[in-house]
Amino acid sequence: MTQIKGFLETSFVDWPGKIASVIFLPYCNFRCPYCHNHGIVLTPEKYETIPIEYVLNRLNEFKEWIDGVCITGGEPTLHPSLPEFIRKFRVQNFLIKLDTNGTNPHVLRNLISNKLIDYVSMDVKAPLDEIRYSKCAGVPVNLKDIRESISLLKGGTVPYEFRVTVVPGLLKEDDIMELAKQLVRADKLTIQNFNTSDPLDPKLKHVKPYNEGELKRIRDRVSKVLQTPNP
Amino acid sequence: MDTLKKIDFENRKTRTDEETTDMALFVRTSKEDILGWNRQRIVDALVRETYVDIDTAEEISKEVERQIIDSRITIVTAPLIRELVDAKLIERGLEQARRMHTRLGVPLYDADRLILHPNKENANVPHGPEATNLTLAEVIKKEYALLNVFSQEIGDAHMRGDIHIHDLGFIDRPYCSGQSLEYIKKFGLNLPNSLSIAKPAKHPEVLLAHMVKFAAALQSHFAGAIGWDSVNLFFAPYLEGLSDAEVKQLAQMLIFEFSQQAVARGGQAIFTDINLYWEVPKHFEDVPAIGPGGTYTGKPYGYYLEESQRFVWLLFDVFKEGDGVGRPFFFPKPLVHITEKLFQTPGHEAFLDHICDVASEKGNTYFVFDRGNTAKISECCRLSFKLETSDLEDAKEPWKMRYAALQNVTLNLPRMGYLAKGDDTKLYSNISQFMEMAVQAHLQKKAFIEKLLSLGEKGPLALLTMDKDGSPYLRMHRATYLIGMLGLNELIEMHTGEELQHSKASLKYGLKIIAHMKLLADKFSKKHGMRFVLEQSPAESTAYRFAKLDLKYHSPESGHIVKGNISKGEVYYTNSTYLPVSLQVNPIERVRKEGLFHPLIEAGSLTHIWLGEAKPSKESLTNFVIKTFRGTLNDQIAFSPEFTTCISCGKTARGLTEKCTYCDSHEVEGITRITGYFTKTSSWNKGKIGELNDRFRNHGFLQDKESDVINFTVKVPLTVSPVRDVR
Repeated sequence: MTQIKGFLETSFVDWPGKIASVIFLPYCNFRCPYCHNHGIVLTPEKYETIPIEYVLNRLNEFKEWIDGVCITGGEPTLHPSLPEFIRKFRVQNFLIKLDTNGTNPHVLRNLISNKLIDYVSMDVKAPLDEIRYSKCAGVPVNLKDIRESISLLKGGTVPYEFRVTVVPGLLKEDDIMELAKQLVRADKLTIQNFNTSDPLDPKLKHVKPYNEGELKRIRDRVSKVLQTPNP
Repeated sequence: MDTLKKIDFENRKTRTDEETTDMALFVRTSKEDILGWNRQRIVDALVRETYVDIDTAEEISKEVERQIIDSRITIVTAPLIRELVDAKLIERGLEQARRMHTRLGVPLYDADRLILHPNKENANVPHGPEATNLTLAEVIKKEYALLNVFSQEIGDAHMRGDIHIHDLGFIDRPYCSGQSLEYIKKFGLNLPNSLSIAKPAKHPEVLLAHMVKFAAALQSHFAGAIGWDSVNLFFAPYLEGLSDAEVKQLAQMLIFEFSQQAVARGGQAIFTDINLYWEVPKHFEDVPAIGPGGTYTGKPYGYYLEESQRFVWLLFDVFKEGDGVGRPFFFPKPLVHITEKLFQTPGHEAFLDHICDVASEKGNTYFVFDRGNTAKISECCRLSFKLETSDLEDAKEPWKMRYAALQNVTLNLPRMGYLAKGDDTKLYSNISQFMEMAVQAHLQKKAFIEKLLSLGEKGPLALLTMDKDGSPYLRMHRATYLIGMLGLNELIEMHTGEELQHSKASLKYGLKIIAHMKLLADKFSKKHGMRFVLEQSPAESTAYRFAKLDLKYHSPESGHIVKGNISKGEVYYTNSTYLPVSLQVNPIERVRKEGLFHPLIEAGSLTHIWLGEAKPSKESLTNFVIKTFRGTLNDQIAFSPEFTTCISCGKTARGLTEKCTYCDSHEVEGITRITGYFTKTSSWNKGKIGELNDRFRNHGFLQDKESDVINFTVKVPLTVSPVRDVR
């Protein structure tokens, strides 16, 4: 059964408009150099497993407050029992948001068609070519799966967002714009700054993240590109 | 200044024949004179200032004279002579006379330090000559208060740290005040002893100017906060016909006027609260509106909903932008009342998102919950007044709505615990005893303020006696007397071995104690015909002071109880009835549990939610605010983000970091809420720095034991590292 490695009872940041709990699942098929949750990716045994009963009990205590549960990781879609896992929250009437890297479109499709998720937040790592994408993901990536997940979300009925974490040196501003073009008319592309405190690749500790001013400029450019109508 | 203007040789000669030979002795007096020695002055002073009989006075003066001659000094200072005389009074056991004859002032060393170094008791005081004046004056007035206003017993209780009498340095003023713009709209600006008299304002800018001047005048008559009721509504009749740009300009002027520190008292910004409403509060709906020129517009306030909404919206636009470099405004504090009527007023969804956007972005917004039919006016860090029937009557003539708290006395709850040594009966008797001391302190201050007020318009509080509507500005019969509490969490821990949140039983015990205090406050109110109410003291320096004193008097127990870092001296107690700041508790639980205490604490309460660098979605905050209103008894909440502002490049970024994220400079200042207001962390006292280190921010966390420890030092805050990174 899927093990829970982290539990944040309430968050105002993970799901806009909602008061959400966040559940962290272990393991990932990516090795993004800027990953700040690499502990549960590489050495999940070092983290206490939180019994699901405990989590459900806590959620019940705040039933009138908590709208939904964000399932993040790691990469949640790696867990074969994910649908069952989600159902345990579903039966308690919690909404579900899934964070994924999009490498398992069939799992995503299955969750959507079974009406198990209400929102998807998909990380996109780089413009959609093997070289840049694999560099940012830290492993070779089959882009076919990524593209399939993207079109699944863009053409589907479940609300979603794409997210990209920006690291100077890894992604140039032009790369971000290129990615935005590839995602044109997507509902949303959220630009996330990276966190220098404890990245998977220690060299990144010394990279200076974009400051708020630069981020704002990038965000403004991205939202313009996204809204461009088809030629 | 001609300090050495007069050496009175004549006088000296006439006096020398008395007994001693012609001493070549000069005295530097406190009147900037140098006079020849004159023993008679000692006698005169003793007889004038004390109840000592003339023979004893003569005797003492001779002994002191002998001592001085024997010492062969040639110049003595008046303070030295006074101390020598005091020593003689003590030798004779004349303790009361010594107290009456004592001299107030500060040692040279202290004055030097005060002039050179910043004051950390109140983070709202900048450092500068004006601030030094304020501090020095406070030192003397504090001593004066302890010697001359309060009885020995109460003074000692304060010195020991059983209780803390707030703002002793402002002994000759009431504590804080709340008012209505209607007063200056109706009567103009016509203050006692002022150089000019202004008729009621005809233009919004002038009304603002009057508001600012009047606030400054009030600041010099009150120790603490100056609150204003329904500011957006009362401005509304002046805003008709103005463009949005003009109203925005006015909003900007209002906020900048109150945020800039270049005002009267000690260079200290006026601690201003502005109460704001999206709706027209029910009690003002049918009240005739006062407009330009102080005349009735012929319409009730209900008519001005749109203008009132436009103004409040634009005020929050300005709060969102922040100051010239994007920092949050420290003052004025915007208190938005969340009421049933708000939810019935069109556009409230967008408005809530707007003010939550500001809360997320800059933190300014305070959400004040007025449930059911209560209406409140809030000021100070926490203080709010529930409007009662008589107030609602006053609301028909809103200029009458003037409130004040005369004083605030905070009880050292953990101290009661140390003294009770686990014995319940003893604990409850300590509560009564400490409450009684607070009541005595209030009675004594009240008597003193009444004495000052009785001097009328020739007296020091002329402004508060001015009478334009049949009663003096300060309505003494409506005054409240605040009894604050500090460290309930630590008391519970000391007494039961478990902290407040530890179990249902410990929380219940905490509630029982506060309920008992409330009961006592009500009893004392009845007995004395005064309004004693419980308050969550902001306790900016008291939290530090009590912890320090208890480490001194109640070791070793206190060593396990006080919070913070003992080796660094950064110690504190948890404020009022709060759960510990370090507790990893989600905001829902915090507002729920802390909210249980709020109905008992009539003068107002607040739950802080420390956001750190996380920037929540505004819609999620709106969601949370609505659920807090509907699902808890919580009185008031505020979200506090943290910022780092760079001295080198002037930019401001989210989070407390050790260097600027724009230019890498280490010349940075942290900004966040200290108690009820924003300040720079560099101005914080050691106790509050200890607390800042401990604050749990609602970040993501994984349950590993290696996670980053946040640690601030007094000078350079280090970065806080959330495990996840959702911004």
